[in-house]
Amino acid sequence: MAELLQFVITGISVGMVYSLIALGFVLIWKSSSVANLALGQIVLISSWFTYSMLVQVHLPVYIAFPVVILFALLLGWVIERFALRRLIGQPILSLIAVTLGIGYFIEGIITFIWPWSVDALPRLFPQSVIHIGPAVISQEYVWVIVICLLVFVLLNLFFRYHKMGIAMRATADDQMAVQACGIPVTRVFSVSWMFACVVAAIGGILISSIGGITHGLVDTGLKSFSVVILGGMDSFGGAILAGPIIGLAESLGGGYLTTANWGGIRDVVPFIIIIIVMVIKPYGLFGEKRIERI
Amino acid sequence: MTLPCGTRNYNYGEDMAIVRTRTHWGMLIGFLILLFTMPLYLSNYRLGVMNSIGITLIAAVGLNILVGYCGQLSIGHVGFIAVGAYTSAILTNRLGMPFPVGLIGAGLVAGFIGIIFGLPSIRVKGFYLAITTIAAQFIIIWVINHWGYTGGFNGITVPYASIGGLVFRSEGSQFYLIITITVLCVFFAKNITRTKIGRAFIAIRDNDLAAEVMGVNLLYYKLLAFFIGCFFAGIAGSLLAHYTGSLYGEQFSFTDSILYVGIIIIGGLGTSVGPIFGVVFIRLLQQFLTVAVVPWLGHTFPNFPAGFASGVAPMVFGLVLILFLILEPRGIAHRWALFKAAYRLWPFSY
Repeated sequence: MAELLQFVITGISVGMVYSLIALGFVLIWKSSSVANLALGQIVLISSWFTYSMLVQVHLPVYIAFPVVILFALLLGWVIERFALRRLIGQPILSLIAVTLGIGYFIEGIITFIWPWSVDALPRLFPQSVIHIGPAVISQEYVWVIVICLLVFVLLNLFFRYHKMGIAMRATADDQMAVQACGIPVTRVFSVSWMFACVVAAIGGILISSIGGITHGLVDTGLKSFSVVILGGMDSFGGAILAGPIIGLAESLGGGYLTTANWGGIRDVVPFIIIIIVMVIKPYGLFGEKRIERI
Repeated sequence: MTLPCGTRNYNYGEDMAIVRTRTHWGMLIGFLILLFTMPLYLSNYRLGVMNSIGITLIAAVGLNILVGYCGQLSIGHVGFIAVGAYTSAILTNRLGMPFPVGLIGAGLVAGFIGIIFGLPSIRVKGFYLAITTIAAQFIIIWVINHWGYTGGFNGITVPYASIGGLVFRSEGSQFYLIITITVLCVFFAKNITRTKIGRAFIAIRDNDLAAEVMGVNLLYYKLLAFFIGCFFAGIAGSLLAHYTGSLYGEQFSFTDSILYVGIIIIGGLGTSVGPIFGVVFIRLLQQFLTVAVVPWLGHTFPNFPAGFASGVAPMVFGLVLILFLILEPRGIAHRWALFKAAYRLWPFSY
């Protein structure tokens, strides 16, 4: 029982991070129909940058964190401005391939600057354990859940009340009409990439403060695609709900099946879910079903 | 423009022929002679590069049929290469089968696994399919690492390829084996795209709904594309297994899958020469970077942390892929076609 509760809480908190990263994906997909497969690498490079700021430059946390956010904003802007904007209107294959190329490039930069490939981020949250019923859980997981919820609320408020947020929702709805209304669509694309990178960076920091920085963070980015697929590509609510589901499945599956001689199953559970969802309900729980015409 | 001046078709056979003029025949035979005498004047190291080009080319040709002709984006190609490699290894090492059985078996098993993971392609396409193939790669590699029969993390050794009493042990003999199969595969792929099947693939790529309305059986042809593409991957995997002699799960990384997509895009999607250009370009670039640039960088900047220079290769590949997509989305093959046209019309370009 204690074990189960432990798995549930760690699963939910890791799942929240997945949905945070997935949110970044959905943001870009909704506004510009670009599938960003470089998400994992963006997560990884943001974590490394945080490491540099905290450990190599010795900045205090309250300065380092805004610097990281600025870095993520810049990263998103650069990617959109110099790669994606030049490919507006190209077939989907080119758009997917260019994000793959960006991911490859970022991975090269990471090896170039931080070649030792594994390191620990300083602990950002208090370490003392807390007791929930019979379970003993590191406080970090609870903090992760709280911060994720906070970011969800902030994003929601932004989309509901801020002018840019409303413009982004409108762009997702109908690009042509938005352009006719005089909203600069390219700037909307730019902002959505910047936001996506910031969200991915926050997710990366949260997850690497618990598990350290490894190349596995790229796989974390790939796993968050299962969240996107399960929740539906164009649904914010779907991403937020599907994240904890994937996290739970991963944590419970990993927790109980590893002992049954299925080592490492934890890492493929999200991918198995992808295949199952594809066969049963390809457009996800809340995704909009596309109707095609010739 | 595709034919030299004054070449006309008088019957359907001539219209369909790949090699038309005497110059074509001369160049083809000359090229084949050049290719098959390479072991006489190339060092073992360079033959090794040629072998890796050959193996990569077989897989890239398969991926080109799947992505370039049929339009089904697959980012898990290395997973299917791994299936082929391990099938061949298990057949020859554990079951003691001869190499030709392992080779064909590898192709067939990889093809059938490809069909299984290609099943979602009936309902989804584009990004959804890309994600499915990524998932396929991770699941395949996990199974390989955790299934006792494949050797798991300890790896599995593979005997040298042998046909009859002939054992392909030296670099030169392996070169003949690999290059012969590569030439056959390229020829087979070129012909498959000129048949009814190839035209159905192209129809599906251009608009699958329209193709279905016209009577192309989507289920059959999409799965056939997956089967053919993964069959080639399996053949490449089998050759890779017998070439390297031992297999580990880590040899088949997701980054390489991305590299394969990059190769066919740089070469030119949906053309028969595209994969050749792409593979030669990428492999030679890789050689240049690892042999010349990386040691030079490490030598010039000794104060940097160890191993930083190995990041150069992915950086350059990523950059090359992005630049090609922005500046020449039709790849080197298109430039080659332009060059041929200009060459034929020179000096009167009208």
